[in-house]
Amino acid sequence: MKEILYYTWGAIVSFVVAFSVGITYMGLNRKITARVQNRYGPPWYQNFIDVIKLSSKKTSIHHGVMQHMGPAFIMVTSVVSLLVIPILNGNKFFPNLNFQGDLIFLLYIMVFGPLGMALGAGQTGNPNSAIGVTRGLSQMAGFEIPWVMALVALMIQYKTTSIVDLMNVQVESGRWLMFSSPFAFLAAVMAMLGMFRYAPFDIVGAPQELASGPMSENGGKYLFVMMSAGSVFAFAKLTLYVDIFMGGADNLIILVVKTFALYLIPMLYGITSPRYRTEQSVRWFWGWPSFFGLLAILQAALF
Amino acid sequence: MNMIYILFSLMFGGAILTFLAHKVSGLLRDILFVLTILASTVLFYTKIHTGDAVDFSISGLPLQWGINAYGRIFSLIVLGLGVMASFYSVSYMKGKERLGYFYFNFLISLISMMGILMSHDLVSFFIFWEMMTWSSYFIVIYNGKHVQRSGINYILFSALGAYAMLMAIVMVYAHTQSLMIQDMMQAFPFFPVAYKVWLPILFLTAFGVKAAMMPLHVWAPDAYSDSPMAYTSVFSGALSKMGIYGMIIVFVTMVNYLPDDTWFRETIAWLGAITAIMGTLWAIAQDDARKLLAWSSVAQLGYIITGVAVGTPLAMLSALFLSVMHALFKGTLFMAVGAIEKQTGTTKFNEVTGLIRKMPWTFISSLLAIIALAGIPPLGGFVGKWMLYESLINSNHYILVIAIFFASTSAFLYCYKFLFGFFLGQEEKEWEQVKEAPALMVLPMLIMATLLLVFGVFPGIVLNPIDLGMQTLGFSTTAGTFWSMSGLFNEWGNQVMLQPLVYAIGGTFLFFLILLTVKGFKETRYVTTKDISSSGEVPLEHENLTFSEGFYQPFLRAVWPVMKRRMMSYYQGFGQGMEAFFDYLRRVYSGNGQTYAIYVLVFVVILLLFKNSLFG
Amino acid sequence: MVGSPVLFIAVPLLAAFLIPLLGMIWKESIRILPGLVLLYMLVLAVTLLGQVMHTGTIVEIIAGWKPPWGINLVFSPFTGVLATLMIGMGFIIWIYSYRFKNVDFEEAKKYFILFMMLVTGSVGIVLTGDIFNQFVFIEITSISAYALTAFYKHRDSAEASFKYLMIGSLSSMFLLLAIILIYSQLGTLNMADIASKAHLMKPEFKILAVIFFIVGLGIEAEIFPLNGWAPDAYAQAPGPVGAAFAGIVVKAGVYALIRIIFTLFDVSGTHQFLIVIGLTTLIISEMAAIRQERLKRMLAYSSLGQMGLVLVAFGIGTEEGIFAALFLLINHAIGKSLLFLSGSYLVYNSADKYINETNGMGKFLPITSFLFALGALAVVGMPPFSGFWGKFFMMSAAAHANMLLVIALILSVSLIELVYYFRVVNRIYFYKKESHIEPKKPTVNAVIAMVTLGVIILVIGFYPDVISGYLHQASQALLDKGKYIQDVLSTGQLLTH
Repeated sequence: MKEILYYTWGAIVSFVVAFSVGITYMGLNRKITARVQNRYGPPWYQNFIDVIKLSSKKTSIHHGVMQHMGPAFIMVTSVVSLLVIPILNGNKFFPNLNFQGDLIFLLYIMVFGPLGMALGAGQTGNPNSAIGVTRGLSQMAGFEIPWVMALVALMIQYKTTSIVDLMNVQVESGRWLMFSSPFAFLAAVMAMLGMFRYAPFDIVGAPQELASGPMSENGGKYLFVMMSAGSVFAFAKLTLYVDIFMGGADNLIILVVKTFALYLIPMLYGITSPRYRTEQSVRWFWGWPSFFGLLAILQAALF
Repeated sequence: MNMIYILFSLMFGGAILTFLAHKVSGLLRDILFVLTILASTVLFYTKIHTGDAVDFSISGLPLQWGINAYGRIFSLIVLGLGVMASFYSVSYMKGKERLGYFYFNFLISLISMMGILMSHDLVSFFIFWEMMTWSSYFIVIYNGKHVQRSGINYILFSALGAYAMLMAIVMVYAHTQSLMIQDMMQAFPFFPVAYKVWLPILFLTAFGVKAAMMPLHVWAPDAYSDSPMAYTSVFSGALSKMGIYGMIIVFVTMVNYLPDDTWFRETIAWLGAITAIMGTLWAIAQDDARKLLAWSSVAQLGYIITGVAVGTPLAMLSALFLSVMHALFKGTLFMAVGAIEKQTGTTKFNEVTGLIRKMPWTFISSLLAIIALAGIPPLGGFVGKWMLYESLINSNHYILVIAIFFASTSAFLYCYKFLFGFFLGQEEKEWEQVKEAPALMVLPMLIMATLLLVFGVFPGIVLNPIDLGMQTLGFSTTAGTFWSMSGLFNEWGNQVMLQPLVYAIGGTFLFFLILLTVKGFKETRYVTTKDISSSGEVPLEHENLTFSEGFYQPFLRAVWPVMKRRMMSYYQGFGQGMEAFFDYLRRVYSGNGQTYAIYVLVFVVILLLFKNSLFG
Repeated sequence: MVGSPVLFIAVPLLAAFLIPLLGMIWKESIRILPGLVLLYMLVLAVTLLGQVMHTGTIVEIIAGWKPPWGINLVFSPFTGVLATLMIGMGFIIWIYSYRFKNVDFEEAKKYFILFMMLVTGSVGIVLTGDIFNQFVFIEITSISAYALTAFYKHRDSAEASFKYLMIGSLSSMFLLLAIILIYSQLGTLNMADIASKAHLMKPEFKILAVIFFIVGLGIEAEIFPLNGWAPDAYAQAPGPVGAAFAGIVVKAGVYALIRIIFTLFDVSGTHQFLIVIGLTTLIISEMAAIRQERLKRMLAYSSLGQMGLVLVAFGIGTEEGIFAALFLLINHAIGKSLLFLSGSYLVYNSADKYINETNGMGKFLPITSFLFALGALAVVGMPPFSGFWGKFFMMSAAAHANMLLVIALILSVSLIELVYYFRVVNRIYFYKKESHIEPKKPTVNAVIAMVTLGVIILVIGFYPDVISGYLHQASQALLDKGKYIQDVLSTGQLLTH
């Protein structure tokens, strides 16, 4: 019982941190995008306002059980991956489950939510949602390949599948893996572009075409949970990258700095890119990123 | 009399009685059918113990039947799925024709699978193997669909495999003068090198056909989808596992002794991976649920084959665990398709949609099975997939693991298509009257789906018998080193503790579900799928908003280069070439008496000319 | 003692003459009498076989002329097994054709007389110990076979019969040549005597004689390329006669060939020749069979192929190989006869006997169709039916003799066989009936005959031990040439003293 409370406490704390940081990033994204496009843009805290607004709205319709559960599914992914990813070096402040799961588990739990939400989107009957889902899944089959290649390269190089071990390796040697395994980092970062679904890989939601795709029939409390989950998940992913490539972080400030630096990559790449069609983006991921992934594996296997 | 004899007489007697009872009354037939399977299952698990064996001889060939711990793993699949499918079939097959024939062959195929597991000698093994082939063949053609194509393909490939096995058996027999599998295992290290290479190849051809390994898989999609769904669950779930059963024996007993086994293992492992990839891609391209699941079965068996071929203890564990899981989830899914076929009359995604509210139980079981198939925690499929990846990474198969990962990521696509196509999407008027399938069909699905959940959290329940079986094969125990009741470990000491993770998943899910439900519970009401925003316009009643054609068009465009070449077309070309050649040769028999007389004379002349070299 | 081997020849010949006479008094007797005779022969054969298994070969001297001068009949385990098989098949086919030409008395009379002669001639070929006597029996068999082939008096059957006659006369010619050669060299016609003196023959003459025998008997044993007549004859003859050709006549031909090669001369290379020629026959016939459009022709080609397989098994030459060959022979007799018998009902009312006219017969003729399927499973060697054991023993014999390539070839050809049989079975059960075809229900006696064959297939399949004991003794008997010579010749000495 005590254990459960302990972990629950950890979950709540990390959730709050991830939520606030993640939602700030989203707001900053909007602001920076606007500035690049020479607009004024909303304030950086706009997304806080949006979430609060959504949560206070009345929701009067739903399309059935699956749609009702969809946001809960995606929340599972956000929270559980947040729990499995160590937030700070040495597991400070945040008691969580990172000794109970490894990278492969993480890979799979990361698709749990999107699939659950896809089911919810499917039940709404809106063809745009389903189209968005098929695009999203296709794109996932694309970017998972370089991403897994990068991870496999790290796993075989350091003979571990645990994130904590990878962090310890960096702490002990004092060298970030992004420098000792540059190809893996390259492949992983390119895969990250797909994960964040910013342009040029934003065909899934494609606002002007699909009415934001999978999300389109969700409003009020559903959208509220989804948005929060999205922010938490974004932070979780960034933390994961920081953990395995950038030596983790000793305190929250460093973490925020590192994650934000990382976050700038998909954001800036997105702002300056047009949109790929699905098959183009799938092929893009199977092109250079996978090639770098292969190089990473070669490097890990040979050296 | 020995219990093993009693078991087989019970099953055979049951089969014949069921066949005869068909002429008397349908009810009696159904009861006999279910009773036969139930009784033999009970008998098997209560009276026959690991290590029991009986000896007898036919025509001077000493034969032996018995059961060991390794066979027992597969007997779980065969009998467990058999019992479930028997209840299901009674309801599913109601009102169809030739039920005596169907049930008879159903039982014969179960008997033969048990026979395969209980054969300690090669002749009984082969006999049961062939019985399994023809009994399943007769069910494949039962629906009368594409009989000449899918049926003949199936029997042809099965026979190809069986004859390869027969050849291997007589080679072993000629060499060791013994037919016992045990003797073969012991004698194998001392065989001549040519035998050492050919025997595994021949045996693997046989087992590869049944396990639908590339390039021997071409029969599988047709055969799986053309047979009645009540049987396909057993066909894909249990019967194909006989191939795996044999493969594991071959890998453990033979391949280890090859002069250079690395190449052999790598080849088969890659064949498995290619099977998985191609199976998955073709599954994505299907518009018929039966075809989709059939290709998916091919793909899933590909993972298992890879696991077997890699052959480290962890890989073997994963292959066996995946076998059990595959039987459960694919059994459930085929049953679900059967239920939908029964209730709506079609299995095409572009014909039926939006069944979730009409067939909720079928949906729930399919959902759980699909999650397991996709390998997503916390269901059973994840455990198997995890072990497979870890074993591949641990044993330095870097590219292979990527290939497998690609297959299983792409599998999400068809998983979603299955659920969306049948259950989600627009609810159409046409299907308003559809009811949930009868309880006898739903219950087996639900039971199996629940088992998937249980095994996902406590894989130790399944891994324990698997471990015992692997010890029979000469592995040292893996309990504690690779798994505990709900924990998984890899060779580097990394772990996944399932219980806390599952609690976290369940806890988070419940918390947010309750939050979503409680918040504004009173205001939120259900609206139909026509009542959607659709870019701000409310669609009219007659507007067709169903999305099912060209579901994954973009993805398929991206992977088209790989799918362009089909194995089937090569076989077809070969077959046509052969038939043309036969047709040409057939003209030797011209039908002209004078020609025949000339043949005789020419033959005499040739014999006389070459008499010294022939008979000198 | 029920009787002696001579009764196998005497009784049916007598009956054949009696049939027309009795037929004048009581019309039904022409149908009953052959059955009674065959039944008597069957009882006699089984009793003698049981006896022979314990006491050894029975040699019967006819008309008091001792071997090597007189004609003698040898009922050894080997010949006994074959004779019993033939008589048994004859009896079953008689049951099947009991109602044959029910209304047409004259036709029926002809049929039954010819059928009796066919069985008698074949049994005679197997039992006789004299080479010229064997020639006579071959002629008796052939002539009745020509007549039976032309039985329907159609254009096609006449043509088939003529082809058969033409090739058959070539066969007679070569046989006579061979016999003359032997007689000129050794001055004897007794097989045992020839065997014991064969080494005295000039090698060139010996080889020449063997070649003539191979050609002459090869025509009867239907080896490629001497079997052109066979598919026509099988297809044009009435259904039961086709079964008799497959189940009885060709067995006699194979026996004669085997006797020449195994007992009479040991010329090196004959065994290998058997294997090569058997394989060629097997491969070409199966290839031809898969392209056939008419049911009976398909069965005929398949029959040729199976006999090729039997020859290969004999060619292995070990005791195991001969055992397997005999097993295959029996399976072929039972299975192929069942296919001919049930198949002729499946295409009963169609003029051309096309395979696609069997479409959908499963619904209309359930028992016949089932038995056809059973026969097909047995012939392609699916366990647990009788054909499997033959195939398995054959394969293991070949493996023991280290002939792996032969095994591989046979197995690949078996795939072809499998395809065309299953194609037909699929048609029977899963196609729609052709509208213009009227299914013909089999008569009760036909059903009894076919079911008997089906039961035998199952019994042998599940418990091959019922025949394997006999077959082992039979194969030893064939291989033990010295004992054969001694058995026959010592009988002669016994009589002189």
